[in-house]
Amino acid sequence: MTLTVKDLPGLDCGACGFRTCEALAEQLPGDQALLKRCIYYSDKEKMATPTLVAKPPAPAPTACGSCAVASAPKGANPWQDSLGRDVDFYLDHFPTEPGPREIIIPHNPMLTREMNIQPGDVLIGRPLGMSCGCPITHCGVAMQVDPRTGVIVWCVTGPLRPRLEGFKDLGYYIAEGYEGLVHKKRCDLKIGMRYFFQPTMCMLQWRHSGLINYLNRTGDALQIRVEGLWIG
Amino acid sequence: MSARRIYLDNSATTPLDPRVVQAMHPYLDTVFGNPSSLHREGRQARECLDRARGQVAALFNADPGEIFFTASGTESDNLALTGIIDALGGHENHVITSAIEHPAVLETCRSLERRGVDVTCLPSDSDGLIDPDELAGAFRPTTRLVSVMAANNVVGTVQPINELARIAHDHGVPFHTDAVQAAGKIPINVRTQPIGLLSLAAHKIHGPKGVGALFVRAGIPIAPILHGGGQERGLRSATENMAGIAGLGCAAEIARAEMSAEAARLVKLRDRIIETVAAMLPNAYLIGHRHRRLPGHVCLGFDGMEGESIRLLLSLDEAGIAISTGSACSAHRGNQPSHVLQAMGFDPFRARGSLRVTLGRFNTDADVEAFLRILPEKIRELRPIATYPITNNNKGV
Repeated sequence: MTLTVKDLPGLDCGACGFRTCEALAEQLPGDQALLKRCIYYSDKEKMATPTLVAKPPAPAPTACGSCAVASAPKGANPWQDSLGRDVDFYLDHFPTEPGPREIIIPHNPMLTREMNIQPGDVLIGRPLGMSCGCPITHCGVAMQVDPRTGVIVWCVTGPLRPRLEGFKDLGYYIAEGYEGLVHKKRCDLKIGMRYFFQPTMCMLQWRHSGLINYLNRTGDALQIRVEGLWIG
Repeated sequence: MSARRIYLDNSATTPLDPRVVQAMHPYLDTVFGNPSSLHREGRQARECLDRARGQVAALFNADPGEIFFTASGTESDNLALTGIIDALGGHENHVITSAIEHPAVLETCRSLERRGVDVTCLPSDSDGLIDPDELAGAFRPTTRLVSVMAANNVVGTVQPINELARIAHDHGVPFHTDAVQAAGKIPINVRTQPIGLLSLAAHKIHGPKGVGALFVRAGIPIAPILHGGGQERGLRSATENMAGIAGLGCAAEIARAEMSAEAARLVKLRDRIIETVAAMLPNAYLIGHRHRRLPGHVCLGFDGMEGESIRLLLSLDEAGIAISTGSACSAHRGNQPSHVLQAMGFDPFRARGSLRVTLGRFNTDADVEAFLRILPEKIRELRPIATYPITNNNKGV
């Protein structure tokens, strides 16, 4: 089929990338596929959308846990977060767990029972407001569940597993505490004191602050629990 | 970091064209009359009102008497849907819309549902297109209105409006289109397309915020939703926003005059972004139809970094580039996935992670090159996607 300018809508709308229908028609003999660019040629015709991605997508990276790149970003000052604020220590996750361990509670704690959340369930939700407001939807695996209080201990992971396996959506939750290991610190850490710290796996690399209420030396690291969390 | 800001969020709003500012200025200063007044000041304002009505009508080849000024695209949508149902009355009413409409339409439909109106939401395909056959199968004897947007604000896909409007027309049902994104960017001709009602907003076409318009084809019954002094021939009471209306008229005239050249220019810039990002980032995918999309609209997803799209937005913002994640109108909704992307079949993760880059009149080749230079830098800074190779090929494919 040879198309000419008479076959085109004659709107000269430019939406094909050519200023006039005539300019498009001049190119058609050499490349009939250009006709796909005309949004008015046929409203009925469903033009196949070429795949933008030439190669199959690489395995989706995890946000944390099994992330292949687990170290904190190397900025000019390793004791500052991505916004240039000072931090006292980095909080790493337990190496035997799939990601950073967090103690959370859904904004409606009844959800824990209503959604029948069980250890091993894959969950998603966003930490809203106090504490500790973050714009990023988190994904994770429930490790312990207290149906009486609604409190869940989960390990935050990347989005791949929820995408593949399905999930339960908590909507919004409150991050009540973090547990993990401290390998890098620039001051002594004491129970009962508040500190600025950088969760190593935080996507935003924003500093957090919180009160250490459990501290124990284990090997070359300190195992701590931090509560009363804030971002910043 | 560039000292100059690069604004690539023109689907959210557009900067005022200096020519529009100039057209508005007298109505913020010396020409302050109320167009309903009979004295000279009032007549001066009336002249502006009539001129602007003609300028807006010309954009769609409408009759000036078919243009009603409102305060926004949202108000125009509300007026179109609610006004048609109110005018018809009756107990059994049915409205057909689509699942990917702007909240200005969807929420109005929900409001109508609370009043007992049945609403059918047509599904979208994975490109964001509404199937005309789905529309054809959705009519009932009680169907009073069809409302399908001309182009989608989140993904940029342009609907087959000709065909959808023709089907509604064949069923004797008015067809409303929310053309807030499409107006002034692609041609719409209400004399050749059987569109009954059409909404637009000035601030999407380099005009001022706070003013919009509704085209209502002569003969279509519609009732007001604002009651008062009877301005706009009784359909939209309130003293007219003269500076805004003057700005809308000027913006419409500029858009009409420059549409073809501007669309061709933006398509080249748009395709440069799409092709270069595809070459640089193997996990990138285009959202929406490859070709049936608005000239300056790019919507991208990045496999596996849905959460990071917000971080990317923030770090590009720090670097002087303004883009968005989905629609600005839903940005305040925080955790909610995009209803548009969900309707297109995206899972809730992907539906949270789109990146929208929308070009406008004042974007240049240099803006696009700067964006394409900075984007991979910022993506490298996001640790979770560092496992993806980023090629050095910045020449497109």
